[in-house]
Amino acid sequence: MSKKQVERHVEELRSARCGEDNLNDATVMLAAIHAGDSNAAEGLLVLVYDELRRLAAAKLAHEAPGQTLQPTALVHEAWLRLVGDRASSFNGREHFFRASAEAMRRILIDRARRKHTERHGGSFHRVAFEGFDLAAPLVDDQLLAVNEALEKFALEHPIQAELVKLRYFAGLTNEEVSEVMGISVSSAKNYWTFSRAWLLNEIEGA
Amino acid sequence: MKEDDAGREVAVFTEAIKVPRRQRAAFLDQACGGDDELRRKVESLLKAHDRVGNFLEEPPTGGLANGSN
Repeated sequence: MSKKQVERHVEELRSARCGEDNLNDATVMLAAIHAGDSNAAEGLLVLVYDELRRLAAAKLAHEAPGQTLQPTALVHEAWLRLVGDRASSFNGREHFFRASAEAMRRILIDRARRKHTERHGGSFHRVAFEGFDLAAPLVDDQLLAVNEALEKFALEHPIQAELVKLRYFAGLTNEEVSEVMGISVSSAKNYWTFSRAWLLNEIEGA
Repeated sequence: MKEDDAGREVAVFTEAIKVPRRQRAAFLDQACGGDDELRRKVESLLKAHDRVGNFLEEPPTGGLANGSN
């Protein structure tokens, strides 16, 4: 489904709700996904992506300079804002958090790539190197390296790669991951240990 | 990579890190059963595991740092 088709799908859902806000869209989509509608998963990703970007921008506008955001706080706030008390069952949580992890990954990677381009690209625009920015380039480069390694990882170990997305990009705990993925907490811990070794090995071996 | 191979790699690694170092070679002999590719991969992962520290334990917030837009 193209992005335009997804956006039209979301708009159709919105107007079908007769002007009701996003709070109902997410629960409608979660129910649809649970019923097997794969198109709704794309719509949910757009919705969650928009909400997370909005929340991140709003928080950054109010924080003192040098503050950083915790993805896990954003994801949990997006859950409250988009679904919250209206979640009658917890079946939708899994899809929501998976979509949030993917949305956060895209948001963070897009920003890291943009900043990487600013630093290494042809533009003469000077990037301010205040104290906290000196640390940022290393973090951005690591993030891009992790993402690239993760894409390779997903080809061989898709379940563990999904777990890394949930833990690293959505900031879920081992307990939350085990609930979302339907695996034991000890499996979640073991997979996490395995994944970190694999990714480090991949990044350092490159 | 076949699903079974991937699963074995995870399982053997997970057990190997629990085994005392001096017994690891013997453990890998038994667990890998002549599968050299599997053994090579697991040994590589075990080395990385020793260096992992708190890699990925910190959230990737660099991309959302205020002022570094």
